[in-house]
Amino acid sequence: MPTNWPENPKIIGTRVTRLDGMAKATGRAKYPSDSHPEGMLFGAMLYSPHAHARIKSLDFSAAEKLPGVKAVLPAGNIKAGSLVRFQGDDIAAVAAETEEQALDAIRAIKVEYEVLPHVATEEQARAEGAPEVFKGGGIVKNVRKGRSVTIGKPDDAFKGDDVVTIEASYSAPVITHVCLEPHGLTVRWTPEGKIEAWASTQAVGPTANELAGAFEIPITDVTVHTDVMGGGFGSKFGADIWGVTAAKLSKKAGGLPVRMFLDRAHEHMGGGNRPSAIAHVKLGATKEGKLIGMIAETSGTGGAGAGSAFPLPYVYAVPASSRTHSDIFVNGGNARAMRAPGHPQGCLVMEAAMDDLADKLGMDPLAFRLKNLKPTDMVEDGFSKPTVDRTPVYHDEVEIGAELIGWKNKWKPRGHVNGGSPIRHGLGMALHQWGGGGPPTNQVACTIFPDGAVEMKTATQDIGTGARTIFAIIAAEVLGLKVTDITSNIGNSTFPPGQPSGGSTTTPAMSPPALNAVTLARDELFTKLAPALAANPEDLSLADGQVLVKGVAKMAWKDACRKLGMQPISVVGKSSPGLASQHGGVAGCQFAEVTVDIETGVVRLKKIVAVQDTGLIIDKLTWETQVYGGVIGGLNYGLFEERIMDPTSGIMLNPDMELYKLAGASDIPEIVVHAYETPAMKARGVIGVGEPPTVSTAAAIGNAVANAIGVRVPHWPMSPKNVLDALASKEGKA
Amino acid sequence: MKAFEYVSPSSAEVAVKALDGVDAAPLSGGTDLISRMKDLVTSPKRVVYLKDISAIAGVSGDAASGLTIGAETTLAALLSSKVVKESYPALWQAASEVGTPQIKNMATVGGNLCQRPRCWYYRAGFGLLPTKDGKNMVREGDNRYHAIFHTDGDALFVSPSSLAAPLIALGATATILGPKGERTIPVASLYQIPKKADDRELTIAANEIVTKVTVPAAKGKNASYEARQKAAHDWPLVMASVNLDLDGNTVKSASVIVYGVAPVPYRAEAAEKAITGKAVNAESAAAAGDAAVQGAKPLSDNGYKIPLTKSVVKRALLAAVGNRYWEEG
Amino acid sequence: MADLDQKPKVGASRRDFLRGSGIAAATAVITGPAVASLDEAKAAEPEYKVVADTVTLKLQVNGKELSTEIEPRCTLLDTLRNRLDVTGPKRVCDRASCGACTVIIDGATVYSCTTLAIACQGKKVETVESFDTGPTGVPHAFVQHDGLMCGYCTPGFVTACKSLLDRNPNPTLDEVRKGVDGNICRCGTYIGVLEAALAAAKAMKGA
Repeated sequence: MPTNWPENPKIIGTRVTRLDGMAKATGRAKYPSDSHPEGMLFGAMLYSPHAHARIKSLDFSAAEKLPGVKAVLPAGNIKAGSLVRFQGDDIAAVAAETEEQALDAIRAIKVEYEVLPHVATEEQARAEGAPEVFKGGGIVKNVRKGRSVTIGKPDDAFKGDDVVTIEASYSAPVITHVCLEPHGLTVRWTPEGKIEAWASTQAVGPTANELAGAFEIPITDVTVHTDVMGGGFGSKFGADIWGVTAAKLSKKAGGLPVRMFLDRAHEHMGGGNRPSAIAHVKLGATKEGKLIGMIAETSGTGGAGAGSAFPLPYVYAVPASSRTHSDIFVNGGNARAMRAPGHPQGCLVMEAAMDDLADKLGMDPLAFRLKNLKPTDMVEDGFSKPTVDRTPVYHDEVEIGAELIGWKNKWKPRGHVNGGSPIRHGLGMALHQWGGGGPPTNQVACTIFPDGAVEMKTATQDIGTGARTIFAIIAAEVLGLKVTDITSNIGNSTFPPGQPSGGSTTTPAMSPPALNAVTLARDELFTKLAPALAANPEDLSLADGQVLVKGVAKMAWKDACRKLGMQPISVVGKSSPGLASQHGGVAGCQFAEVTVDIETGVVRLKKIVAVQDTGLIIDKLTWETQVYGGVIGGLNYGLFEERIMDPTSGIMLNPDMELYKLAGASDIPEIVVHAYETPAMKARGVIGVGEPPTVSTAAAIGNAVANAIGVRVPHWPMSPKNVLDALASKEGKA
Repeated sequence: MKAFEYVSPSSAEVAVKALDGVDAAPLSGGTDLISRMKDLVTSPKRVVYLKDISAIAGVSGDAASGLTIGAETTLAALLSSKVVKESYPALWQAASEVGTPQIKNMATVGGNLCQRPRCWYYRAGFGLLPTKDGKNMVREGDNRYHAIFHTDGDALFVSPSSLAAPLIALGATATILGPKGERTIPVASLYQIPKKADDRELTIAANEIVTKVTVPAAKGKNASYEARQKAAHDWPLVMASVNLDLDGNTVKSASVIVYGVAPVPYRAEAAEKAITGKAVNAESAAAAGDAAVQGAKPLSDNGYKIPLTKSVVKRALLAAVGNRYWEEG
Repeated sequence: MADLDQKPKVGASRRDFLRGSGIAAATAVITGPAVASLDEAKAAEPEYKVVADTVTLKLQVNGKELSTEIEPRCTLLDTLRNRLDVTGPKRVCDRASCGACTVIIDGATVYSCTTLAIACQGKKVETVESFDTGPTGVPHAFVQHDGLMCGYCTPGFVTACKSLLDRNPNPTLDEVRKGVDGNICRCGTYIGVLEAALAAAKAMKGA
């Protein structure tokens, strides 16, 4: 396969609408939570109302007697004596004929709790005299202190006379995934003792594995369907305790299907989250603006059982640094991978410190950043293609972004005032990076049928990136057909192995085997057709729905396929070098323009610019949509989102979509997306874009707010409270 | 949501009978009650549906004689009233900022006035005066959206109706129908500060309903201004409604009612006093804004409401006289 | 407003409906198997009827008469999804905040998650499933402008847009924003949604 494929693309890189768009936009698409197989029961979960408790007793008898109730079971290994470690921790489950009956039965389960002391917030967990809820395994007094990572001699670095230093604290709260379709699945046992499930998952294969493992049945006896699914963002990689419990309920109910999806509150509590980040940072540079060192003490909470790591230092060349990170454990739901795990936290800490230091140096923060990029930043591709130096890419991207936001004319030093208006304008920027390549471990089947139909088939799924359309574009490009001529069948665990949709890997991991499959199928077609056309297979080509011999159209596609007789061509393609980057390694930058009303603390976005490289872009339309989506996810982090825990009761105070705030349409500014797609970038192959554009938005917004009001708002989100508190503390100091 | 029995009465009188003597709740738009029922904060045995009672819906009257607003008037219907928009901008602006298009179609004026607090401790089932181990959970916990006035007591939630503020500022009365008949009270008298755990923040009994609101003739100038975090659907952090009786440019008397700062709609008497006898300008409005927070005692997380309340009261006063200095061209 | 003692000037009372309008049959059905005949109901003149158990609900959904057994506590959303297999409207926040459950009742958008089905007896319900009118329709515009990703919020957004354009065929960008402010998308498809709404407005005029 040529490494520079496609040489003259007709479809790749154009704006192709989604093949499944109309199904979704008309409500016809059936999501796993819409599925309603014959005889289906409604499942419901009972979860802990307490942050920390021991279950003294568990009594299902009243629940079991209620009308319509078919099965009541404990969740996982829960029994008398078990501990629950956060509000939302799973206790038991019910399946009943109606959902109302299932919820009645949940309420009829009698649980006696011995309520135990809890720590619900980072502050509470670390307080002097706090109950030691978490200890052992390296955890002391609810905190697991990480080893400090030291590069060079940071303490010495700060000693010079010409060193300018800032010391500051920054923090960002825990946020939750808020997948619109909650975690869950609809599942049944067939009369043959097999499991069939319709799961809202980012990974049909691992979900099937988990179900097979839980019941110790062969994986060949499990089928997981995910035609479409309502959002995952890193939190939906398996059946989870809810799916396994639903399958147990189905088994107990004689195989009747059970639909089990979490309610919104439970989804917030137990469906995953992005850990908090708390950082105390010392950052220094020479008077000329060259970074010399960084000392960072950081922490965060990933809940009752997950870590909270994030990268730091980030992006820039810091010659000497020391960084110690502590995981704080609290009685909260566990963190799960969330859209670019760790990076948004690392980015906002680093970029806030960079901006604060630039301000102290009296430098334009854009120039300061460019001055402190790594001299070279080589990114290994992994497929023995030329390595890419990311530093010149950053330079180009920053230049483009600065132009698009109007940095040169609009940027003014921090806290500038023009006139007496309380509405202050600010500009901010931030840089980010991500991987986004795909492993070479997947397969795609391509079948060309005698009637001319073409099917691309693989066990990956679409979390919203447009996977079906990507396969169809690649097939249509190779076969000279229209995208709508191709059928993409995905979302079935029994299909050839496909990539779980995490780490922005789906498109890069699946494009190479798709190309391989369709190319092999085409070649086999050519071999079969050549005699009929009295030509050599290598003289054949495909374009515009025609088979060409030496460039001359000879036969329509359908007529050619008819020559296959009864036997379709079916080929399984594997990953091969040529179309993809294995490791990715993208750069990107974002700029935010904001207004801050200093009398009310209200921040409004005026414009965001996102410049992003991701190698070769397959579908420009859905690529842009993903970048918009990343930016909007990031602006939610920057302005609105926050999991709020009550120290007294240990519960989440805003497990909803009202006081857990998410942007609506009126909160969305003009967003300018620029694809940095030079020939050198295209030559890298396909790299995923789901995650990188969500990394730096919150950082850029925070910097824009500081630029507007002349004072750092150290706590995200940029709420009126946090802005007014920061302004008040400035006045207090003055 | 627990099972309940359902009544859809044909008239307000029948509704009151259906509410009487049982653990019943009146249902209008449902955005508040149904959510509370799902969260098991409220589990009535009977739900009495008022929204199909057309006799207590609709807006009538005019600026010269005053308005009558049926309790089951939807916010969408209220907003489509020309007289409300032109002569009662304080009410129109407040209503236009409530909820979303869907909520405006569902929610009613009566439902808005009688909705229960959004306090997250109340919504989590800890009651209006949430205490644990003898300590007030709001005071000990996250109180960023809570009161800054009357905070010496145990009721620390904020009154949730953002129509109450303009209606009180405009001097409106509410007509209440109950088993003993009808009575009319100032809208402000719908609310009280609960002292004991089973007190309600509403003064009307469980078997009473608001049937209509009557707003006096419009005179002088009125306006509302609110600050909130999101531009899209969000609750106001603080809102102020003002009604100014003017003699030329001079304020003869003023009503300044603030939402988001107290367990009841808060009358900022000091602000009223400060602006009375003055022309409304940047200076006098700022002074009134400063006066508005006299006596405020914020909790641990809501000190920001002090500067916010000052600004919001100032802006509502200036908005009433057409000065919207904070809006950019 | 009319004096409470007077007959309502606009519309008819529920009792009037009971006596003879189309809803009478539906209301009678509500009382279940033990229902009295219409004549008996009229003779008895009960002041109000208490519905305590499962009843038959009749709805006109997307032009079709549908009927199912419900409890008074069944929301319209759960009734559509769980009992009538109308799954376009989605359950997301379930508390009147996110708009995924938006349907149009008698011409106005509502959150079906906090609407009781029993209060919709006999009413006209339109859901996203009925809005595909081809190239001039709102769903088509959403696809052309890629106003969707995972698609779970999309039915609500399409419904909100459709309703907005019915009322305001020439919306400004700001009016479109306000028109869909009752809906939340987590993937972040707002830019496509706003473009789609404006394009649909244009396409409808051309139609």
